Amino acid sequence: MTSVELALAIVKILIVVLFLLNMAAIATWADRRQGAMVQDRVGPNRAVVYLPSLVVRGIVFFPPALLAALSVFTATRPASAPAAAETMVAAAQFAVAVAWLGLIVFCASARSGGPINPAEEALARVEPRSIFYGGVMAHVAVFFLTQAIPLSAAPVVARIACVLLGALLLVTGAYAALRVPEGKIPLRLLGTLHAAADAIKMIWKEDFIPKNADRLLHSLAPLLAMFPALVTFAVIPFGDKLCFEDNGDGVFGFGDLPLLKRTVDQAFTCSGHVVNLQVADLNVGILYIFAMAGTGIIGAALAGWASDNKFSLLGGLRAASQMVSYEVAMGLSVVGLFIIYGSVRLGDMVQWQAEHAWGIFVQPLAFILFLAALAAETKRIPFDQPEGESEIVAGYFVEYSGMKFGMFMTGEYVELITSSALLVTLFFGGYHLPFLDRDGINVAFGDATLFQYKMTHFAVSLTYVLAFFGKTILMAWVQVFFRWTLPRFRYDQVMRLGWTKLLPLTIVNMMVTGIVVLAVDSAPAGLVGGLQVAADVTHAIVAVGGFAAVVALIAGLLEPVERQRTVNSTSSRFAAAAGGTKASPQQA
Amino acid sequence: MEPLDRELDEAELDLPSEPMLLNMGPSHPAMHGTVRIVLELSGETINKADVQIGYLHRGFEKMCERGTWSQVFPYVDRLNYVSPMLNNVGFALAVEKMLGVTVPERCQYYRVILGEMARICDHMICSGAMAMELGAFTPFLYLCRAREIFWEIFEEETGARLTHSFGRVGGMARPPTADFKAMVRVGLARVLALINDAEKLILKNRIFLDRLDGVGQISQEDALALGWTGVVLRATGVPYDVRRANPYMVYDRFEFDVPVGTRGDNYDRFMCRQEEIRQAGRIIEQALEQMPDEGPVNIDDPRIVLPPKEEVYTTIEATIQHFKIVMEGIKVPAGECYSYTEAGNGELGFYLVSDGSGTPYRVRIRPPCFATTQGLSQLITGLMIPDVVPTFGSLNMIGGECDH
Repeated sequence: MTSVELALAIVKILIVVLFLLNMAAIATWADRRQGAMVQDRVGPNRAVVYLPSLVVRGIVFFPPALLAALSVFTATRPASAPAAAETMVAAAQFAVAVAWLGLIVFCASARSGGPINPAEEALARVEPRSIFYGGVMAHVAVFFLTQAIPLSAAPVVARIACVLLGALLLVTGAYAALRVPEGKIPLRLLGTLHAAADAIKMIWKEDFIPKNADRLLHSLAPLLAMFPALVTFAVIPFGDKLCFEDNGDGVFGFGDLPLLKRTVDQAFTCSGHVVNLQVADLNVGILYIFAMAGTGIIGAALAGWASDNKFSLLGGLRAASQMVSYEVAMGLSVVGLFIIYGSVRLGDMVQWQAEHAWGIFVQPLAFILFLAALAAETKRIPFDQPEGESEIVAGYFVEYSGMKFGMFMTGEYVELITSSALLVTLFFGGYHLPFLDRDGINVAFGDATLFQYKMTHFAVSLTYVLAFFGKTILMAWVQVFFRWTLPRFRYDQVMRLGWTKLLPLTIVNMMVTGIVVLAVDSAPAGLVGGLQVAADVTHAIVAVGGFAAVVALIAGLLEPVERQRTVNSTSSRFAAAAGGTKASPQQA
Repeated sequence: MEPLDRELDEAELDLPSEPMLLNMGPSHPAMHGTVRIVLELSGETINKADVQIGYLHRGFEKMCERGTWSQVFPYVDRLNYVSPMLNNVGFALAVEKMLGVTVPERCQYYRVILGEMARICDHMICSGAMAMELGAFTPFLYLCRAREIFWEIFEEETGARLTHSFGRVGGMARPPTADFKAMVRVGLARVLALINDAEKLILKNRIFLDRLDGVGQISQEDALALGWTGVVLRATGVPYDVRRANPYMVYDRFEFDVPVGTRGDNYDRFMCRQEEIRQAGRIIEQALEQMPDEGPVNIDDPRIVLPPKEEVYTTIEATIQHFKIVMEGIKVPAGECYSYTEAGNGELGFYLVSDGSGTPYRVRIRPPCFATTQGLSQLITGLMIPDVVPTFGSLNMIGGECDH
């Protein structure tokens, strides 16, 4: 292992761990907030940092100014025609995005705080949704407009687009900084500071160990519960391979790092050095994940036993039996995927999905079974008997306080993020996006190519990494909203479900998959071609569905709040009579 | 010292296992802070359950003997703190029975509407809390939003959100506000819509139904022997509802059904509550139709009802009346009576004894929860620990009522 490989490994581990821990803190806050374990609404003086308005203006203005400087700097650099074309497209799209996002933010602030000039009065009358729809249309229009520009004119247009983007960013940032009111500004960051406040609070709390507890095991258990969740992520590829060209010495050194290949072809022919965006590329892949998930049982069982508490003992027993049972179903439910993908390496799995169809389309039943087993494995509702708050108080960590309790929580939510990443890798194409290949966008069905757009290696790789983390966050959100809606099983129902329903179904799924794969392998060539077209159609479904989902999500977020009151309550009327206002309670 | 020449039989070769004693203490999240269950477990199965009702240290009955008859109302608010208006109305009716007076019709309708609204709140919170203790949090939030609508109406009418203290002997503290009917009409429609939403979330959910179906069954005979009343009794199939069996106020003028269950398990109790919410909605709609818009609310008897303030400040007779009622209390004729109404979770009875003075000689309350909670141990014997939660939740034990 050379020094540069070591440095890259450390960087990769940092990326993964920082993502996991930050997401775990935010997910804990979001999930437990719904479970009424933390304050529902961040109060006026809770988890808030007060900053002088000058500092806030700086904070508001700095990122746009930086980006604007970057954009203008890009405009001054010479670039080849294809690269300039890509720069042009990116800059134009960014400009449209900055425009609509800024307009929506200013519209919201004008509506809530009152307009301060005629332009804002006009803006406040516009519906935020229509701004967003206009922005979406502008995105599409600008994309085709930039496609229409000939390659020879690309460098000039790219410079103009970059300068325009910089100017737009500067104007938006400056206006936003102007809108910052005088005085002390409360910084709440949508309540995400609450997670930090909780963590700081927990570190300072008393670390209580019961009198008759086994001190060593009691302190060891949180570590054992958290460790497997963290190391499981090591084999999950969070991006495609990178190809660095050689600087002439034939050895991978620090001098090769700036030489990222400009473009790669679809087959990834790389004469230089290949870097996997994966902490450890093990040849056992998913088996390692199952092995590590199996050790997670020890932490819960040990915590339950070592606390010398009957509730925690029950919780530990439940956790151990449930996790052992569902390990079986979990392992068997993905065997069908191994048969189809022909590998247990996660990188190869993602590659197969990129070339054919996503896992959820080839193994829908396995997805449902695996999701159920995963929920049981991470001890989340509807399988959270080990820690059912209303039954056995808190289950196996009932006797833990302070940061040890926090470690259990963190472990649980790191498991949530890791399991989401695993789901994404197995069933949702990992880092892959539909029609985005290594050399750019190719919209093709079978052999018929409808649309082609070349992109650089760097742009594609960055998109892949962002896509992976975005999908992971989305899956984590799905798992969290399960928890908000579903009630809890009873303990014997869980066992019955695992052994008499899930396990036979996984075995049936395995057999059927084997038969179908054999049939397809011996089928005539025409069928294989047809299957390839069908796979491309699934990609199209995902692309269109994803686009529609994003639009629907943002439109839903911008939904106008109905402020109808059945009654103007007495207190609000008294407040109005005294010349003030009363904050209205939550609307039904 | 055991004899050593004992014959060994097969049974003694098993591992010795003694039952685990588990104290689901008063501070357990599902125990409302006043109930302690000592469970004898083998594994997760409950062999024996010893339910002990604890104190909330209210001293309700003793406190009532310290003040006048009117000063009891703030205390009855705090009995069943999920539906305070029903307790208010119940106590007011009891004292009026002693006095032998009947309030005007408008006031009776007013009391019925407010009481049924409180009943809906009570049932909603019970069902929602039960779902929440099973882990389904969202239905509970929906139902809390629905309750918020009614509480804003209560706030508008009475000035308080939880402890209204709105009932008075011989009437109500204030007449209905001008847009009372409109508010209730709008609010009721939205509440029922929200309840439908919450039901959609849980009643099509196999997990939820499995946790309720066939769990915590009780037979009719046992329920009657324990003295159960209200929803928990009707879920076993006994159609006993005080509003139907002994109609008080104007309940005999309304068309409503008394929902009954068949098996007396958690599912029946849950569904009976949900159906009763809808029946209460029907009663409210009919009462709004029939309620007169004009007319007195309080009875015209200066010995019972406080005179209006402008008269108190201008005429000597009213001043004297006001002084006598406030300082000495309403003179209730000597005797005793038992008055009972249908409260949120059963028959709420007040047994009053008066010695003819302005203060109660004895106020004995018959809380529905007390009888209900007795039956918990025989409901959960033989079930598993997780079943304690929905079973206890479906009984709707209210700590403030249980301790008296």
